[in-house]
Amino acid sequence: MNPTMMNSTSTQFVPSRRMGIYEPIHQMSMWGDFKGNNCLDASTPMILEVDPKLDNQSEDTSHGTVGHSNKYDQEASKPPDKVLRRLAQNREAARKSRLRKKAYVQQLESSKLRLIQLEQELGRARQQGMYTGSALDASPLSYAGSMNPGIATFELEYGHWVEEQDRQLADLRNALQSTETGDVELRIFVDGGLRHYCDLFKMKATAAKTDVFYLMSGMWKTSGERFFFWIGGFRPSELLKVLLPHLEPLTEQQRLDLGNLAQSCQQAEDALSQGMDRLHQILGAAIAKQLGEGNYLPQVGAAIEKLDDLARFVGQADHLRQETLQQISRILTTRQAARGLLALGEYFQRLRALSSLWSSRPRESS
Amino acid sequence: MQEAIKIPASLRRMVAESAVVVVGRRGCCMSHVAKRLLQGLGANPAVFEVDDKCEDDVLVELRAAELPVVFVGGRWLGGLDRIMASHITGELTPLLKQAGALWL
Repeated sequence: MNPTMMNSTSTQFVPSRRMGIYEPIHQMSMWGDFKGNNCLDASTPMILEVDPKLDNQSEDTSHGTVGHSNKYDQEASKPPDKVLRRLAQNREAARKSRLRKKAYVQQLESSKLRLIQLEQELGRARQQGMYTGSALDASPLSYAGSMNPGIATFELEYGHWVEEQDRQLADLRNALQSTETGDVELRIFVDGGLRHYCDLFKMKATAAKTDVFYLMSGMWKTSGERFFFWIGGFRPSELLKVLLPHLEPLTEQQRLDLGNLAQSCQQAEDALSQGMDRLHQILGAAIAKQLGEGNYLPQVGAAIEKLDDLARFVGQADHLRQETLQQISRILTTRQAARGLLALGEYFQRLRALSSLWSSRPRESS
Repeated sequence: MQEAIKIPASLRRMVAESAVVVVGRRGCCMSHVAKRLLQGLGANPAVFEVDDKCEDDVLVELRAAELPVVFVGGRWLGGLDRIMASHITGELTPLLKQAGALWL
């Protein structure tokens, strides 16, 4: 009944070029356009995708199937063989169209199921902490990020921080490999690199104010990095162990100084770790007071006050990381410091790569 | 490096008599960190515990932003940041030795 349907050259349904009748998009626009239309019988779409030789007859056919009596009168004047053949072809085309539509809808349904499955898997993985969480992963904001704008901002900034880090490392690598690079230029790299780490600590301090638990969880980092996690980041003494072999040759004084630094780091870390243990105990005891009464507000309220200390711990740990990096750069020559920064950066890049490879490994179906 | 700081009498006494003093809030985990660090180095810090109620007064008297703060050899050293930083740079141990807090 719709005039536009009668006209086979209508741009509403049929694009200017001839579309193959097996193309899904073509089919989709057809199905979509008929959404509100009650007469979803196969006869109407058939008009639009008929073989070229039937195009001329489209008007006739539409009239025929919609049941205009005039049409049959017109048809009767034509040779019956042709009419019968045409009707048979129309029926065949209609049947094929119905089958195609069925296949397409089935495809959509199975895709939808697969999507639901994937979403569930992703949700489970996030909850179990397997989600790599880095803003660089090809995925939208993480679970925590979607709940807290401060954290969402942090994740975004961290993604940029990592990209900038990769750029700086590539430049540094080139500079070190070139024989022409002097100490003055390297010094700029070293200062820039140290500053970049400071920027990260500042970002973390801001994020800690909105959600310290998030920082403590390390969810913004990759799973590989999280394995080596200590109070919101890397362990300074671990850092020194990683760097030491790559700083050779060292003078005796440097070796001594670095040894002392390693010991001081360890002692400072131990003190902070013991403080954390104490916080665990105090927090645990506060939460566990008077269990069984159903009411939790006083205990939880008291516990929340103790969480301020947690933010201070992350701050102190970052401060320790920063001081350690500064001290390392004081002990070393410019060139050694540049090599050290490169080694450090590559170490973290490898941990991130490890996480990506691990999370994308083919899994055995259970 | 010594400033003329007005501090409570009992605290003043402690600072004068002990090689190392940690002034901290009662039950504070950060004070615990300061204490453990100094103990780990072989020092035996005296601890001056401040009640929540008195904390603000003490901070004003000490002209400090927050607790804990540490005195070494009768002199103000600083808060936890300062203690950590001075330990990393290697300044802390000689200071402690000088004050007689360490015997090694």
